[in-house]
Amino acid sequence: MTIEKEPVEGAAVLLAEAEDAALARKDSTSLSQGQLIRRRFIAHRAAMISTVLLVFIALMAFTSIGYAGIPGWWGKDYTMAGTVINGGHPTLSLLPSWLGGPGLAWGEHPFGQDSTGKDYFALVMRGTQQSIIIAVVVGFVATVIGAIIGAVAGYYRGWVDAVLMRLTDLFIVIPLLVLAAVLGQIAGRSGNPTVVLALVLGLVTWTGLARLVRGEVLSLREREYVAAAQAMGATTRRVILKHLLPNTIGVIVVNATFAIAGAILLETSLSYLGFGVKAPDSSLGLLISQYQNAFTNRPWLFWWPGMIILTIALSVNFLGDGLRDAFDPRQTRKAKRRKKKVEVSE
Amino acid sequence: MLRFILRRLGASIGILFAASLLLYVLVINSGDPLSELRESNAENRETLMQRRIEFMNLDMPWYMRYWTWLVGVGKCFTLQCDLGTSRQGVEVNSLLALAAGSTLRLVLLATVLAAVLGIAIGVLTAVRQYSGLDYGVTFITFLFFSLPVFWAAVLLKEYMAIGYNDWIKDPAFSPLQIIVIALIVGFLMQVFLAGTIKRRIITFAVAAAFVAVVIPYLTWLNFFRYPQLGFGGILLLGLGVALSGTAMTVGLRNTKVLYPAVATVVLGAIIYFVTFGLLESPNWYILIAGAILAVIIPALLGKYMGGHLRGPAMGVSIVTGLVMAALTAIDHIFRAWPGFLLLKPRPIATIGSQTPNFAGDFWESFLDKGTQLLLPTILLAIISLASYSRYTRSSMLEVGQQDYIRTARSKGLSERTVIFRHAFRNAMIPIATIAAFDFAGLIGGAVITESVFGWRGMGELFRTGLTQVDPAPVMAFFLVTGTAAVVFNMLADIFYAILDPRIRV
Amino acid sequence: MSISAPSAESRATALSFENLTVSFETEFSEVHAVKGISLEVYPGEVVALVGESGSGKSVTSTAAIGLLPSNANISGKAFVGGVNVVGLAENKMRKMRATEIAMVFQEPMTALNPVLTVERQLTESLELHGLAYGKEATARAIELLKLVGIPDPHKRIKQYPHQFSGGQRQRIVIAMAISCDPKVIIADEPTTALDVTVQAEILDLLRELKDKLNTGILLITHNMGVVADLADRVAVMFHGSLVETGTVDQVLNRPQHDYTKKLLASVPRLAAVDVTGTWTPAPPDPVSLDRELVLEAKNLVLEYDMRGTKFRAVDDLSFELERGKILGIVGESGSGKSTVAKAVLGLLPVASGVLAVQGTNLASLRPKESRAIRSKIGVIFQDPAASLNPRFPIGDCITEPMVVHKVGTRAERIKRAEELLDAVHLPRTVINRYPHELSGGQRQRICIARALTLDPELLIADEPTSALDVSVQAAVLEMIQELQSRYEFACLFVSHDLAVVDLLAHHVVVMKDGKAVEQGRVSDVLHSPQHDYTRKLLAAAPVPEPREQAERREARRLLLSAEAQQN
Repeated sequence: MTIEKEPVEGAAVLLAEAEDAALARKDSTSLSQGQLIRRRFIAHRAAMISTVLLVFIALMAFTSIGYAGIPGWWGKDYTMAGTVINGGHPTLSLLPSWLGGPGLAWGEHPFGQDSTGKDYFALVMRGTQQSIIIAVVVGFVATVIGAIIGAVAGYYRGWVDAVLMRLTDLFIVIPLLVLAAVLGQIAGRSGNPTVVLALVLGLVTWTGLARLVRGEVLSLREREYVAAAQAMGATTRRVILKHLLPNTIGVIVVNATFAIAGAILLETSLSYLGFGVKAPDSSLGLLISQYQNAFTNRPWLFWWPGMIILTIALSVNFLGDGLRDAFDPRQTRKAKRRKKKVEVSE
Repeated sequence: MLRFILRRLGASIGILFAASLLLYVLVINSGDPLSELRESNAENRETLMQRRIEFMNLDMPWYMRYWTWLVGVGKCFTLQCDLGTSRQGVEVNSLLALAAGSTLRLVLLATVLAAVLGIAIGVLTAVRQYSGLDYGVTFITFLFFSLPVFWAAVLLKEYMAIGYNDWIKDPAFSPLQIIVIALIVGFLMQVFLAGTIKRRIITFAVAAAFVAVVIPYLTWLNFFRYPQLGFGGILLLGLGVALSGTAMTVGLRNTKVLYPAVATVVLGAIIYFVTFGLLESPNWYILIAGAILAVIIPALLGKYMGGHLRGPAMGVSIVTGLVMAALTAIDHIFRAWPGFLLLKPRPIATIGSQTPNFAGDFWESFLDKGTQLLLPTILLAIISLASYSRYTRSSMLEVGQQDYIRTARSKGLSERTVIFRHAFRNAMIPIATIAAFDFAGLIGGAVITESVFGWRGMGELFRTGLTQVDPAPVMAFFLVTGTAAVVFNMLADIFYAILDPRIRV
Repeated sequence: MSISAPSAESRATALSFENLTVSFETEFSEVHAVKGISLEVYPGEVVALVGESGSGKSVTSTAAIGLLPSNANISGKAFVGGVNVVGLAENKMRKMRATEIAMVFQEPMTALNPVLTVERQLTESLELHGLAYGKEATARAIELLKLVGIPDPHKRIKQYPHQFSGGQRQRIVIAMAISCDPKVIIADEPTTALDVTVQAEILDLLRELKDKLNTGILLITHNMGVVADLADRVAVMFHGSLVETGTVDQVLNRPQHDYTKKLLASVPRLAAVDVTGTWTPAPPDPVSLDRELVLEAKNLVLEYDMRGTKFRAVDDLSFELERGKILGIVGESGSGKSTVAKAVLGLLPVASGVLAVQGTNLASLRPKESRAIRSKIGVIFQDPAASLNPRFPIGDCITEPMVVHKVGTRAERIKRAEELLDAVHLPRTVINRYPHELSGGQRQRICIARALTLDPELLIADEPTSALDVSVQAAVLEMIQELQSRYEFACLFVSHDLAVVDLLAHHVVVMKDGKAVEQGRVSDVLHSPQHDYTRKLLAAAPVPEPREQAERREARRLLLSAEAQQN
């Protein structure tokens, strides 16, 4: 078979020949799946804004008060009480001077002070650290366990699958929050409550992802490239790791982000109820719980942690949405509708 | 179908059992129930400890403690439940009786509200994919997804409850407020009704003008303290529903549908007068019977007057009948409102599941429970509203791509018929499964909500039980919520089987 | 280019296109799908619109019923019963659907709504267009089901689509299409998803209906046999334009345009089939002494485990395949033909009997030994879109067998991949490309290359060309033949297409319901079938020549009526 150079419009070229000619004409640059996904993600405006916001919040939280003994640029400590200045009002100002405000100013206590004079900025940053650590650990643990168990259950089916499905059904009768609260109570007695809490939460939140990965693997394993790999003698390990899991990466990544958003809210809820992070350490949920009655006199004690939880969770959710659109472009916007130019019929 | 449901029910009960064992073991290992007594300096320390050990069966090995609990639960089958005693020695049965009612009421109401509204919003956004409405709703659902419940609860209390309670003392609107409300309503109406630019402008103008005129008029009537619908209002609204229902299904010219609908309105109006005295202080049985009649009578009218258009005639008549019944009930509620305001000058409550020592007639205590439920229900519904609407939207879009939708279009069916008859039922199939998980999530949410609003409900039982390492109240909480979840799951399964004939036949 | 049927000048058309143009706006550019075509369909006439994928044939028909997506720009005219539907308001178009123009789709399994009864789906268009209501509509629907040959329509009308077979569902879709007496029916690949025998029945039904109802039919298809069987006139579409129109005899027997000629040349044909049973078989081949058996099955039984209950997919099957030969397995869906391929590939355990590759029985093999034997077997599957891992570059796809069996260094593997790309006539540059950048036929050639990576003794080809266009299929088949004569592997070729097997295979096994009904040399079995089922199968397969097809249709009718008398 010879490859024709340029099929002339209208010339009799069979499909088979036309396709080969098109392939030969193609330029050398080619986009892999990954590159296509990256492009689509960058085009998703909400997801990009969210990414920037998240990076900013994380940088602020870890550099300001430092972490694990490394000092940060913010001089005050979150456990240190002091004298209450100006009723503890926040000194942060964002209104520029030409609009009649005091200009962009950071001040002594940008987020204000609580009734004992603790610097609220340091407290909130500490809480944000805790939330981020917990969210990332939970996201990681839940994703790894969920992806592996889901893939194994989907691949082997049979009893492994049955056990998995019953385990996930468990969460129909015990609400996740209830189980997490009980486990959080147990974790509270350990040496490093935050990390143990995160690990424990990871251990109970993987089932959702496992279900989704299982569903995906159930359909992927019927694909012919999987059958081809099995037929050529590939080991089960290779089939799962090279052929199945990489093709569920979309589901995994997207749901990892949703798991992270869920974990942030779960941790704050637990801390609010008193089963999560406990004083004197700080957590965003704990701060709201401690200061909810201060709403009328010191509303900033209530607003700051809440807004930060909301911002993180919202950004992570939008990030996940952007990733979903990037991985699965089926439901994204097609070409813009243009007015039909049609002749009016009689 | 029965076999399918029984098998699922059997599996659920097995899971309930396994979950109870897991939870029991975890709870008794979550701490030391005697810790604060060990550190206490009280003289009767030993007796106190001894009593607590007795109440909590601490002298038994863990499996015996669980077994004792299980045997007590087993007695429920002979209607003699024994759920054990809390560590203070209080019978959990009595604690539960108080708590269960209010919590289940809250969760059920929120579920129904969230499912109905969420699915409706999901369908609407799927139909209007990529419109301003779709983007707006998407953003709001994401916001709801990301909202910490307890934080939002404080905001609701602060702005909605306290704000409204202050306002209702002397309800009035400033001109600026009226203009803002009119503009917002006009904007929302044009978003919902959509259409060409010209149509949108007209919708906006009409809606805004309407609001701008109606608000001062209602204020002048003192409607917000003395609301009234009146016979004329009921008749007018009922006729509106009958006419628009007919117009939307088969067209107004079709008397086979129009007549039974109008007959329903006339009959409803007569019944309004006849039952007026009875409904001034009814009870729940009367109301339920009334609702059933409001379905049966119009159905019969539609069946016998509808001729070959029996189906749509019955549908329109039943909707009209239900609307008439609802309007009648609302009229009575409106009549009770001024009296209720006297009894409870700050109507929307922020604490508790009912006003203590509230003494009013049926409608007044109905309003009392309603206003107490209002905030927690809104809060819970908002959270699961987001997931219902997202899932419905993506499910509708998925179904919209199917071949049978194209077949339906190629028959010449209108877009509305395609969406509601062909797409909607198929799109609901996956939602039935999600609903079961969502219900469990709502129970978890209820624990937080109750804590914020200071309800002495199931959440309270769980929370104190767990803090005190006291398994009996925690397990009682689990028993009620777990059973409710299983029942709800079964309902979802039945719904699933009704929707999907491939399960049934 | 427009041509009208002789003597039809004065008649009104059921459907006609005048200079119809359709383009789509996509993410990056504008695609011109239909470039100004003109065509007429008269009442009681079947016009076939043929072409390969992307020729615009389906877009043309969808434009007529006004169901193109919103990013389509349409110009020109499309008349349905005298009304131009291009630019027609949606509410007016809706009233014309079903009553003036109706459609039969390709996939009967998904074209019906799974949650509504057949009754509901049939009566809704009757009620919508005001033809009948309530009981009357149901009675009419039952009549329609009877007309399209659904047995026991009174009872079955209450059932749901999943309770019907694929062929029956297509009949229901046809009943739906004719329910409001449309002037024209668009049949978009109505038999592509069906087995040959069912296809023949559906074609008979369509022929019967158009005579009875005097409806015009626009038949969209890629299958020249179907064209020869049903069409009165043919229009050949290529890159959005009509290149040739004429009567079926003109186009199929005396094609004028180069494209039509080439297209027809790529269609595999069943050579001189005799379905009447008067063929004298050639003397049997002498058994050569040095023949080397590569694959052998003896009393093979294969079973699927369906939640505890065993389903026997293959029962008591025996065959032999020697080196350098191609064995075809033919049968309809559910015959167990692909199950055999699965078992040889080790994807399904052998329930009983012997299945031996080069003398090693697969049934009694330990996992490690069985892995070694896998390197001797290559495989090509049906669906080129699903056969290659979308995350592997082409080079990795081809060399995967070497990686799995730890053969060669990285450089050697790349070298081997390049050799194989040469062998399947693809440029070496595709080594770094991803599967989604290649067309179906090209991917199938990559699959062939992958199958040959380790120089296998045995190639399993499971319907390798049934998802491909005619010309692409011809290229792939040619390639398999060429490579087979070069490398001399044995090949087990599973297919539902008798013509393809006839073209390629030396021996053939005809399967039905898990059993072999007939086997032997292709020249004997396919040209002088002994078993009734083989005869029926052969008679049902349409050939792309109208006169011959008419004879075969008649022969099939006689065969079926003879069978009916026997029972």
